[in-house]
Amino acid sequence: MRLAPSRPVTAVAEDGRAGRAPALSTAGAGAAVDNGSAGARSGATGASARAKSGAHREAALYHALAGRGAGDGRSLAELRKAALEAAAAAELPVWRRSGFWTTSLQGLKLEELDAGAQPSNPGTVPEVVARTLPERARAGRIVQSANTVMAVELDGELERRGVILCSLEDAFRDHHELVAPYFSRRLTIDRHKLEALNAALWSGGVFLYVPPGTVVEDPFEVVYAIERAGVAQYGRTLVLGAPNSEFRVHEYDLGEDFDEDGQSLHAGAFELYLQQGARCRLAQVQDWGSGEVFDVSTRFVGVGRDAYCHWLPSLLGGRLVRQHLELAVSEPGGEMAFRGLFFTEEHEHLDAFAVDLHETGPSGGDVHWRGAATGESRASFEGLIQIDPGAQQTHTYLQIHSMMLSPKARLDAIPSVLVSSDDVSASHGGTVGELDEAAIFYMQSRGLDRPTAVRVIVEGFFEPLITELEDEPLQELVRAKVARKLAAAREDIEAYATSR
Amino acid sequence: MADLEIRNLHVRIEEHEILKGVDLDVSRGEIHALMGPNGSGKSTLASTLMGHPAYEITEGSITFRGEDITEQEPHERAKAGLFLAFQYPVAIPGVSVANFLRMAINAKRSGTDTQSGTGQEPITVKEFRNQLQHAVELLDVDRAFTSRHLNDGFSGGEKKRAEILQMAMLRPDVAILDETDSGLDIDALRTVAEGVQRLHDEQGLGALIITHYQRILHHVRPQFVHIMLDGRIVLEGGVELVERLEREGYDHLRQEFGASEAGAVAAGDGSG
Repeated sequence: MRLAPSRPVTAVAEDGRAGRAPALSTAGAGAAVDNGSAGARSGATGASARAKSGAHREAALYHALAGRGAGDGRSLAELRKAALEAAAAAELPVWRRSGFWTTSLQGLKLEELDAGAQPSNPGTVPEVVARTLPERARAGRIVQSANTVMAVELDGELERRGVILCSLEDAFRDHHELVAPYFSRRLTIDRHKLEALNAALWSGGVFLYVPPGTVVEDPFEVVYAIERAGVAQYGRTLVLGAPNSEFRVHEYDLGEDFDEDGQSLHAGAFELYLQQGARCRLAQVQDWGSGEVFDVSTRFVGVGRDAYCHWLPSLLGGRLVRQHLELAVSEPGGEMAFRGLFFTEEHEHLDAFAVDLHETGPSGGDVHWRGAATGESRASFEGLIQIDPGAQQTHTYLQIHSMMLSPKARLDAIPSVLVSSDDVSASHGGTVGELDEAAIFYMQSRGLDRPTAVRVIVEGFFEPLITELEDEPLQELVRAKVARKLAAAREDIEAYATSR
Repeated sequence: MADLEIRNLHVRIEEHEILKGVDLDVSRGEIHALMGPNGSGKSTLASTLMGHPAYEITEGSITFRGEDITEQEPHERAKAGLFLAFQYPVAIPGVSVANFLRMAINAKRSGTDTQSGTGQEPITVKEFRNQLQHAVELLDVDRAFTSRHLNDGFSGGEKKRAEILQMAMLRPDVAILDETDSGLDIDALRTVAEGVQRLHDEQGLGALIITHYQRILHHVRPQFVHIMLDGRIVLEGGVELVERLEREGYDHLRQEFGASEAGAVAAGDGSG
């Protein structure tokens, strides 16, 4: 892993917030650097894909995509072919944050997984979807299980007004002029084997288009489900918000609690582009259940001129989850709020890398993540503020709060700031907490039993973010999932309390 | 038989014996003042009565409404009708005052056995709103106060008002007020003290008011006054004791009862 930035980082961040020390150009362990090289920016050609065995050990992967992506005019067939070549040459990835954590996919038995896997019951929506998704008004819903889109519904009035919700495969056929310019525009196809396999093998997929000026109150629901072991699901989502559109997207990544032996994989690629003045609230609820599900996904949100995105993933389960989440303000006047919460349990391993990328100014960012860990789980979070050259008048702030709930869990949170403009403010802060015995006694003295008091503290810890979902059914779902995890970890939490 | 009976209570924290045989009775409808200098063990008594796990009872017993609660969990004592207004209320981020109160009321209604979950129905929205409105008026706070996160960013005065607000809503039989008067300006002190007096008058609240100042006792009238020195109650009487204390101070009492400054320091509890 290279520890030094390949281009000098000279700018000084001016702290616009009283009472906080100015953030310097790089913080954290110093590895969160932009590789910034021309080679990376033309990565779509796959130069790095012809890696020799062991090449993953050289990779410095905690950096922003920082490129124009693979969508450079090549046809879908050409992209698939290039990606397949990249996949063949690449090893399963390992992300290593020296001194903190290693996320290795080398335990994934790819050869046992079926990339053509079909839904367990083609005629019915998976049980886990039926029981998880709230009963509520919605603008539309699309459900993919394994590698097949099995249900699409869209409000008729919205359809008449030009909203499109369909499988991405259908979109390539029926709306090629809309899809082609954006597909993989900011996503690469060859940084690692699973990304390449996704680009080569995806089927089904999701396409949502919201026409100019269209304002939709109720959410569009995007669902990816895995019902059993042995599935390799290559999810691919493209969302376009045309100028001045306003809408919500709720993505659900759900796994059945399958108990048979064997693994499943969700390798996802998600991109959302907001054009001038568009506004989107994007929420994601991810819970792959108790089966051995691996999730390696890359998500990119591009915010155009005067557009706004509020993005809040809730990462709530999966045996091994690696998420590269990048929210980029790409044109002047864009604003974003990048939220996220995670809660790991048992033997789960989570590695979330959230990038707050400012490619131009003026722009505004506000990153706020919260995470907790129980059991013997491992939660790793890195938040990177990256302000590119020329992104003047950018103001952004990153905060990470974490809470340890078990003596055997480990939770690391690293804030990084990489600034290449001088007229900006960028800073970060955060807290690391444990259960407060004084607060527990206080609540007990009001009649709450100890498990309830613990639940109230942890819910209260997450509540500032849950509140921001601004959607009652979704809030209830996330609260219920947090409560379930807490109930499951009750003994563990007690053991931790008495050990201190 | 008194509602709350404390018999020969000995308590230590770590190696220090702080309470050295306390006897005290408090019943519904009675207002007691427990006075004493810093370090005499007053706050230890308050925390012990509520079941704080850091305090070890080495001898004696606590009985509440006929039931021995010496070994009970704090939440069981609360459900039985005991309340502690904290000297230093703890912030509960992310939980509004109103939501917390609803949870606490419903916990209390669910009966003393949490597992069975039997008992009264949860409070209705309307009933809760009416009670909250009444309490808010009693404590002279803004209704918006109840949607703020409990004690999170509250001023000292707001925290104490929130304590009494909770007391008004939870309607305990006996409340222990641990230096609720400390750190309050005169207006806040009057509001809080009058709130306690009204809960006594209207609900028949029994109160054990712990203080080392006399000023709160100008607004709430105790029928019984107890003086604690060095882990023991050394003097008991009516309100005339307050006046004597005001005249003579604790030093005079110390000499009279042979309690030493050293004893107070050994108690290691600077907060009283």
